[in-house]
Amino acid sequence: MDGAPTTAPEVIAGEASPSVRPPLARVPLVLNRRNFDWVTNRIAGAVEGPTPRWWWVSFAITGGIAAFGLICLGYQISTGVGVWGLNHPVGWAWDITNFVFWIGIGHAGTLISAILYLLRQKWRTSINRSAEAMTLFAVICAAIFPGVHVGRVWMAWFLAPVPTQYGIWPNFRSPLLWDVFAVSTYFTVSVLFWYTGLVPDLATLRDRTTSKVKKFLYGVFALGWRGSNRNWRHYEMAYLLLAGLSTPLVLSVHSVVSFDFATSVIPSWHTAIFPPYFVAGAIFGGFAMVLTLMIPARAIFKLQDIITPQHIDKMAKIILLTGSFVAYAYAMEFFIAWYSGNQYEKFAFYNRIFGPYWWYWWVGMLFFNMLSPQLFWFRWCRHNIFVVYFVCMCVNAGMWFERFIIIVGGLHRDFLPSSWGLFIPTWVDIWTFIGTLGIFTSLFLIFIRFLPMIAMSEVKIVLPEADPHHVTPEQHHPVAAGGMERT
Amino acid sequence: MKRVIHHPPASATGKQYWRSLNQLSDTPEFREWLAREFPAAAAEAGPDDVSRRSFLKVMGASMALAGFGLSSCRKPEMHLVPFTKSAEWVIPGKFLYYATAMPRREGAMPLVVTTVDGRPIKIEGNPLHPESNGATDVFAQASVLDLYDPSRSQRFVHNNKLSDRAAFEKYIAELRPKLAANNGAGLAFMVEATHSPTRERIRAELQKQFPRMRWVVHEPLLSEAQHFSTQISFGDSLKLIPQFENADVVLALDSDFLNCSESNLTAVRDFIARRRVREAKDNMNRLYVVENHFTLTGAMADHRLRYPASQIPAFTHALATKIAAATRDPNLSSVLITLKPPTKIEKYDRRWMDEMVQDLIAKSGASLVVAGSHQPVVVQLMVYGINAALKNLGQTLLVRELPKTPRYNSILQLASEIDAGRIQQLFILGGDPVYNAPRAVTLDRKTKQPVNWPGLQKKVPEVIRLGYHEDETSALSRWHVPMTHYLETWSDALTPQGSHVAIQPMILPLFDGWSELDLLAVLAGLPKPKGPELVQETFRATAPTGDFETAWTNFLRDGFAKHVSLKNREPKFNSNSAGGVAHTVWNNELPPPTKDSPEIVLVGSYSTDDGRYINNGWLQEMPSPVTKLTWDNAAIMSPRYARYLGVKNGDLVRITVTDTAKDPRGKLIQRELVIAALIEPGHADNSITISLGYGRKHTGPVGEEAGFNGYLLRTSSNPHYIVADHKAIQSVQVSKAGGSYALAVTQDHWSIEGRGLFREATLEEYRKDEEFVKKVAGDEELPKQLPTLYSHPKLDAPQQWGMVVDLNTCTGCSACVIACQAENNIPIVGKLQVAHGRSMHWIRIDRYYASAEPFNEDYGQYPENPEMVHEPMMCQHCENAPCETVCPVNATVHSEDGLNVMVYNRCIGTRYCLNNCPFKVRRFNYFDYNQRPVGKEKVGFFSVYQEYLGPLTEKTTADTIKMQKNPNVTVRMRGVMEKCTYCVQRIEEAKIAAHVRAGASPNTLIPRDSFTTACAQACPTEAIVFGDVADPETRVSKIKAQNRNYRLLEYLNVKTRTSYLARIRNPNPKMPDAGRIAVASLEHEHEKRVQARELGGPETQPRPRPQTPAPAPTEGTRP
Repeated sequence: MDGAPTTAPEVIAGEASPSVRPPLARVPLVLNRRNFDWVTNRIAGAVEGPTPRWWWVSFAITGGIAAFGLICLGYQISTGVGVWGLNHPVGWAWDITNFVFWIGIGHAGTLISAILYLLRQKWRTSINRSAEAMTLFAVICAAIFPGVHVGRVWMAWFLAPVPTQYGIWPNFRSPLLWDVFAVSTYFTVSVLFWYTGLVPDLATLRDRTTSKVKKFLYGVFALGWRGSNRNWRHYEMAYLLLAGLSTPLVLSVHSVVSFDFATSVIPSWHTAIFPPYFVAGAIFGGFAMVLTLMIPARAIFKLQDIITPQHIDKMAKIILLTGSFVAYAYAMEFFIAWYSGNQYEKFAFYNRIFGPYWWYWWVGMLFFNMLSPQLFWFRWCRHNIFVVYFVCMCVNAGMWFERFIIIVGGLHRDFLPSSWGLFIPTWVDIWTFIGTLGIFTSLFLIFIRFLPMIAMSEVKIVLPEADPHHVTPEQHHPVAAGGMERT
Repeated sequence: MKRVIHHPPASATGKQYWRSLNQLSDTPEFREWLAREFPAAAAEAGPDDVSRRSFLKVMGASMALAGFGLSSCRKPEMHLVPFTKSAEWVIPGKFLYYATAMPRREGAMPLVVTTVDGRPIKIEGNPLHPESNGATDVFAQASVLDLYDPSRSQRFVHNNKLSDRAAFEKYIAELRPKLAANNGAGLAFMVEATHSPTRERIRAELQKQFPRMRWVVHEPLLSEAQHFSTQISFGDSLKLIPQFENADVVLALDSDFLNCSESNLTAVRDFIARRRVREAKDNMNRLYVVENHFTLTGAMADHRLRYPASQIPAFTHALATKIAAATRDPNLSSVLITLKPPTKIEKYDRRWMDEMVQDLIAKSGASLVVAGSHQPVVVQLMVYGINAALKNLGQTLLVRELPKTPRYNSILQLASEIDAGRIQQLFILGGDPVYNAPRAVTLDRKTKQPVNWPGLQKKVPEVIRLGYHEDETSALSRWHVPMTHYLETWSDALTPQGSHVAIQPMILPLFDGWSELDLLAVLAGLPKPKGPELVQETFRATAPTGDFETAWTNFLRDGFAKHVSLKNREPKFNSNSAGGVAHTVWNNELPPPTKDSPEIVLVGSYSTDDGRYINNGWLQEMPSPVTKLTWDNAAIMSPRYARYLGVKNGDLVRITVTDTAKDPRGKLIQRELVIAALIEPGHADNSITISLGYGRKHTGPVGEEAGFNGYLLRTSSNPHYIVADHKAIQSVQVSKAGGSYALAVTQDHWSIEGRGLFREATLEEYRKDEEFVKKVAGDEELPKQLPTLYSHPKLDAPQQWGMVVDLNTCTGCSACVIACQAENNIPIVGKLQVAHGRSMHWIRIDRYYASAEPFNEDYGQYPENPEMVHEPMMCQHCENAPCETVCPVNATVHSEDGLNVMVYNRCIGTRYCLNNCPFKVRRFNYFDYNQRPVGKEKVGFFSVYQEYLGPLTEKTTADTIKMQKNPNVTVRMRGVMEKCTYCVQRIEEAKIAAHVRAGASPNTLIPRDSFTTACAQACPTEAIVFGDVADPETRVSKIKAQNRNYRLLEYLNVKTRTSYLARIRNPNPKMPDAGRIAVASLEHEHEKRVQARELGGPETQPRPRPQTPAPAPTEGTRP
């Protein structure tokens, strides 16, 4: 393709009408012919400017909610798990539902960063940073639940394989222990991956800031980045390796979470389809959450040129794809329950749609998860921000319902009809969950306030200017002396 | 120089001594410990050459780490207080067992009490006594908790002010000459039925001193009808003793004789002995039951007719007429001839009656008809006549001579004397008449208006109350004297069958109380006894052979007087006097209840009896064996009647009883009760059953606000059922009151959903197909051995523990539930927590209704006429336990002798094991139930349940409650899981005892069947059997080898150690409902087999199931 004469200037510019564009040309990833300078100023500017009032208002609200959630946790830890609505058939309910829900959300970030990176999906660069941050915050929220839902929190260190005088090791056959390892590994690698990607951008902020404190802090975390060829070579290699390391983790962590249920004997839990089903569901829910956060952020920070309709379109397509996986899994569960001939399984699924939690299934799983993403078959829907946002909210809620139905739906009516029961949440249950939403949003607000929410360096790589052979004759924009722009 | 102490070397011969139980049980860990002398970490320091420096280094590092550690985190902190003075006979940690007995309404229950360090902690039946045989019931099991009840009466009260013992003694001393002066005129006693010969002796003594005194026995649930009828029909001082072991066919007319607590354990055991099936050729008895509400007896029935209780006289009349016609018995006919046939009678299926009569007659001499003791005299008389006609007297019904006692006064006679102002001093010893005396106990002399007991009691100048609680009656008494518990008391009693048993104290009175005998003795001028003197004197009168001291010691050791023989008399039914009395009391105009005029049936509670156990948390929290309701009573009604009223479970209904009498203003007198409704399938229509004993105002924190007071409806003329007879009662109206009340029911779902969890068949089917249990739930399709991927923990101990539950003999009485609670320190959690599904019982008795009729529970359709089955469910000790694999911290593991062991210290409370338990038998401590009593506490403006208060608030569990705890069982804290352990503490105790016995010899096995679990020990019917399943000669192994043995959820391959024996029912194939019996496992694969059933003639073809909800009733017989 080198030197092909067909690359006419208007096409490179990209914003010409589609009728003019040759049929095989790609829509550019950054619109309006934005250059390096604009990207840096726009993204770094969001961090450097004075704190806007809306930020303080939002943070006060979310921080207040988070604080109240933490008070609820304190009450639960000090008084007993009984302050939640759990009982004897239902030993897990909102606690583990929230755990799986947050872990699921934590999937999208690393998937976008790692798998899309390895698959050379360049559009990922506009969203990967905030998606990864979201992952971390979601995993933090998730980790709260298995940590505090146990009866004796102060003994939770028994889960760690610490050689003590007791000489008792954790039970390596227990999926709950696998969870501990899977989630902590996932979190560690995700933090490393996110931080590695941040280093060049931190250096940019260090170089741009005038405050001495900020310069010092950004400087410390930028690890002495100079943007040298050597720096870049190591960086790229580290990033690639971490991407390779993260990819299996994306698949493993939710598979392991699904083992909590799949390895049990409870009807509707004891299911071989769970690992792929959970992973697909996690990506599904995670992408919905990415869009939930990105759509407002893009409007607030005027990033429409970087997070373009094309990005939203692509993410919508992934939601449609994974949503269809999930719908298939739901259908297959019913089929296998019938096909197995096992009366307990059959009953469990009958109970799912006609039992006491029937509307959770009809609204949460059927409408929110299976039907609402089907709108994304239509291009118009994928390009209408309101439809996209509506579907994302449906999926966010639907995925929570799905986990609730799996956990409580399986437990509340299992083998012996004598011990059937119901789960009714208490105010502590509800506020603990809302509290984690507060923690999540508070952390995200802090993130967008202090760190570049879009990977500047990576976005620049996908700009036409980054191509060494790129020439823009009529709008020549020379690289500033000293290569400042490149960093 | 420090002296180095060396333990003496073990002697090669003679007695072995050991320093700790660890050493004795000689585990490998202990050997290692011995070898290293110091625990592992210390040995690493190199004990041979610990220099001062290295020691300091290690210690310094340890101290530093200790600071780093989680030293601020909560851990339960306990203190042990050793004896400052050693008590005689007490070996610390060693239990002592003493025989005693629990006085009860129908006769005492012989017991053996376990005491540790002078505290009674557990009650068992007396295995030496034939009437107990080691078994007990719920009330005996729970009575130990009453002893430690922190709210029991602890002080002398005079005119509602604190007083003391000296003042009361002075009062009695001053009273005696006054009484003697006028021969005791104006003196009255109101006592409970205790059947104590000593009390009777002192009463006679008092009678001698104060000839004009009155003596009244008041027991709200004790009916004199049976006693009176026996005297009429057979003669004075006699008691009828049914011999269930001789009866092939039993008909129970509104009689709950299988309720252990109502009657006695002998009846239950004898009946069950004839029901136990070892192999297919064994014979079984057959039980017909006619009753209005489901009882434990009804649940055991082969044929059950739900029928209004108030129509039992009419039904009995019809039955007697049929039997008289068939047997041509002149005696029965002569009774019946005096009775005008009832004009109208509740409908029933005539064939049901005809075939049952045929069956009874066919088994003449080996049949038995029993009527509930609360049925009126005429029913009792007819039933005696029927038994006479069936030649059952002397065969299945014996007449036993009891010591002659004079006829006591009734509360009604006392009431009229009080009203006449003739009573000056009233001693109320026990009981609680202000709460439970019948309403309108007498008519006012002047106004002719009915008066209630509280008003009357106020008229008595001096009321002296000996009470266990400061309750309603105490509040209206001049003196209240704290009463001792029977475990603090010297006394004696007769058992229901007349055997003389000893009651000896296990502990000194905790709160300085007086016993009934103490008070009577002081009043009789005897010194207040310090010990057994009074009882000894009574015992002396029974003329024991040989040396008195030895006989007395044996009496106390064995718990009963072996030398006193029981005399039976030749039973002779006196039809003349029976007919005469029957004629006078016969009421043939009692109309059948209707929708608009239902009957109200008042019965004793399975949990609180007549209300005396209301403050006992174990009993309050024990789910009713029938309704599974805890902490409350309710108006129990049939689904059809509930639909008519438009109520569902928990909705309040208003019951209004209007008397025919009018108040001074000319208004009809009404009594009203607003009570929550509870629907019970199998209840008679147009009938409401209310358990008495709830709704008390003044009682301890446990009993307050529990249930509704049924006594408010009760009058002396209608003590057991209330129906609008237009004589005393104008109308009975029931309507929806609006609003609802939270009922804590432990089992919401009544259907077994065809899951093959409970398996039963008819005897006939069992004989046709002895292996029928294997053909339920696909068990026969499973391979013998499923392949396994991993190696399981080895089960290589020489003794392997297992359990079997015979569903054929389990009556559901729940004695095991309370026995387990007492043995294993299981806390109560309170009504709210039960309603939340958090009850802590390690055994729950699953109760299912089985019906051959189609139903759909989701649409609120209950079966109208189901059968009931009970299935005790506790940890099944799976060999492949699903709970064990999922615990992340190894807190639940398997022992080599086959126990699924729970390690409380290791448990962090993930609850994963609970989730993965297919039987849902694991119990999680959602709160610190052992640290906090149930009930609410005021916090500012709020009233908060104590368990919801954070750790900064005060924990207020009474010290006395802690005294009950079994020291061999950990008291669990919040956040840990617990469950049935097969009473591992008893296993370990037996192991250690075996080691002690073995000494140096290698035979350390526990002797075969030498101990058992608490539940198995308490079970009156031996339905639960525990033991070594590795030894084929143990009872448990032999029972497991029977072909009715099955395990639950076999397809999961969890290999449960607890198995069940399928239930066999013995329906009469000619009965119209024969096809609807034994249907609990009628689903699924089993269905095909059921369709293949060939039963009876063409008219008995209801299998496949009838489509109509109930068989169309035909008009009752009208002779």
